[in-house]
Amino acid sequence: MPNGKAKDRFLKPLVADYEELLGRFQQTESVRFEEFTAIWRNMGFSSVFYGSLAGNEMREFCHLTLTMAFNYFLPPYSFQIRVGGLYLLYGLYHTQLASPKEKIRIALKDWEQIQKFYQDSVNSQHYDAVYIIRKLIAENAVLYTAMPQMLTFRVKKKPQHHKVCEEFRDRPERVKDLISTDMLQEVANIQGHHERLKASVLERSSIAVTQQDLPARLHSCVLEFLHWQDRHENHGDADHLVYAEEKAQQVESSNRAQLLASIKTKSYGCLAEASRSRRHRQVEMDTSISGTGYIKQAPKYHKSRAPSLKARTNKNLCGEGDEQKIQYWLLSAAEEDKTALKRQKRKHSFRW
Amino acid sequence: MAAGSSSNVNENIPVFEYKDINTKPFHVGSFRTAWLEKLKPIDYSYEDKYEENEDADFAKEMGIAPETLDELKAICSVDTLRCQAEDEPLDTNVVPPDPTLQTLIQRKKKQDYKGTLRIDKISRVDHYQDELESLAVGKRPEDPVDLVPEGEIILSINVLYPAIFERFRYVRPHMTLQMLGSHSLVDLRDAICCISDLQVFGEFSNTPDMAPDFISKDHFKSAFFYFEGVFYNDMRHPECQDMSETTIDWAKTRDFPTFHKAKMEDTRFYDLKVKVGYPYLFCHQGDCEHVVIITDIRLAHKDDCLDRKLYPLLTHKHRVMTRKCAVCHVYIGRWLTTNDPFAPNDPCLFCERCFRMLHYDKKGNKLGQFLAYPYVDPGAFN
Repeated sequence: MPNGKAKDRFLKPLVADYEELLGRFQQTESVRFEEFTAIWRNMGFSSVFYGSLAGNEMREFCHLTLTMAFNYFLPPYSFQIRVGGLYLLYGLYHTQLASPKEKIRIALKDWEQIQKFYQDSVNSQHYDAVYIIRKLIAENAVLYTAMPQMLTFRVKKKPQHHKVCEEFRDRPERVKDLISTDMLQEVANIQGHHERLKASVLERSSIAVTQQDLPARLHSCVLEFLHWQDRHENHGDADHLVYAEEKAQQVESSNRAQLLASIKTKSYGCLAEASRSRRHRQVEMDTSISGTGYIKQAPKYHKSRAPSLKARTNKNLCGEGDEQKIQYWLLSAAEEDKTALKRQKRKHSFRW
Repeated sequence: MAAGSSSNVNENIPVFEYKDINTKPFHVGSFRTAWLEKLKPIDYSYEDKYEENEDADFAKEMGIAPETLDELKAICSVDTLRCQAEDEPLDTNVVPPDPTLQTLIQRKKKQDYKGTLRIDKISRVDHYQDELESLAVGKRPEDPVDLVPEGEIILSINVLYPAIFERFRYVRPHMTLQMLGSHSLVDLRDAICCISDLQVFGEFSNTPDMAPDFISKDHFKSAFFYFEGVFYNDMRHPECQDMSETTIDWAKTRDFPTFHKAKMEDTRFYDLKVKVGYPYLFCHQGDCEHVVIITDIRLAHKDDCLDRKLYPLLTHKHRVMTRKCAVCHVYIGRWLTTNDPFAPNDPCLFCERCFRMLHYDKKGNKLGQFLAYPYVDPGAFN
């Protein structure tokens, strides 16, 4: 099987698992490693590597886990999610089952970001994050590369970009970047210079081309925006309190929803069968949610086939003569057992 | 302020030209110095960093007390990640019951499906796919002079097989070589094994015993690499010609940017300016062209093969089916005949013994009229 397919297969569930883990971590509102490991143990995350993966698939899978996890370590995610990504990398590196261990690839272009992150952690005294970064580097867990992945010029395949999870995104600081304190300082300087020049040239300085209080107004705009952002965030929290009150009403409505769902599953239990021209795409019922260990059975193929060429030739030319021949392989089978005549065909092929 | 970031400093940092496909061109040697500047030598060294030194440095930098340090170490140790009790036996080959993770749910489906199969065929090709790669991992040389120095660049290069047929395009048969940055392009050239190098040309039906004296590799030694508008010619031997001359002259008459020339033996990988993930060309034997892609450039690591003598290292090679004799179907075909009245089809492949038995009598005289060419089997390098 070509290697590309393995990656596509494992990608979606893996990303779903990561986002679940990081979502829970985000809710704890802390950056402590103990919180992270509690969630890790709760979800039993070490077991992502279990299950018999064929020899080389294990190594590819470990490589994929580390590559995907690394995306959460870089901007535009918020600081807390990035710390979560770091812990995730640490956990995956140590619990992986490939030997020798798959390394974490760090590209040169991302090193700046990582250094900034390290500096922020040191300044905020997050000892566990700092310790873990240092430990990963000291353990030779890092490969210093040109690019985060190996590139083989696969143009025809649609490259799968990492979709940034919106809930984990950091608050946009575009206004602050545009109007920084340095810029305000400079604008104020230029304003002052302009005023002085004007005063020295004209006697009456009543003509005003520019706004007099431009720096002050810019500053107040920025502050207003920041306040608005804060309020908008807290507004989200206030929603949670309101939500708790409405929960009582919701329980009622969820009962009704459950009733509807049960009616729906009953009606969708019988599947429409695909026509003969689409035999290869038989519809299969996906009952994986209801419990594991349940093996899918494709619906039986009811339509009778037209008799094959061999059968038709037999009928036309030989008549019933062949019935007298002894079929040796049937001697041990019961006479009524018609299934012995037919070769067992595999009922369904595996769909990922 | 964000405006006006100096672009000349960042030229050596590889960035994507097209996302996830290839990078913009950058100079390999400068890339290496860029990394080495940013890291402390201890970060990329091969030795295990002594834990006590590391902890002492850490405590000093952060200014924390030893007790806090011990507590921190206990919290951050790997044991906290263990998901079950220590004395419980663990079978990593089986998915645990009642999985909640999406990955495990998917894997359990596959495992259950496998349980329903009566015969479970393991594809041998898949099983041994990575065997070549793992052969040389972690090898250390006996002579310390041969040790790959720390901070050396390792490049992974894919050389695709020539003559890509229409229906075999979904899998690109290639060989992957790992090279050190200090190797020159001639080392890469010598490491590429292509069967067109072993071809023997000429018709030998009258003199079947004289065949092995001519091998194309010895006759046509010219070759060139093409990277980023520069043709690197192999000029080691006096009979090597400059094959890129034709292309450069042709390009001058058309609307192409001017191409340059250089010598293959004088260029090391450090001197190259290349794009990672972008296809380039290697041409030898006049018209045997291989696509060359540099897939990865990185610093050397403790777990790599550290023996200089083993480089260039072959990590992956697609196998090609060997063609057998049309008569006995046991031995590998060595002779190709055309216009042969004895053969069932035209052209026809024979092994040495069948060929002699069919076409020559006991004294070695040629029987009948036919043309015979020595045949080199494509799977010769398997």
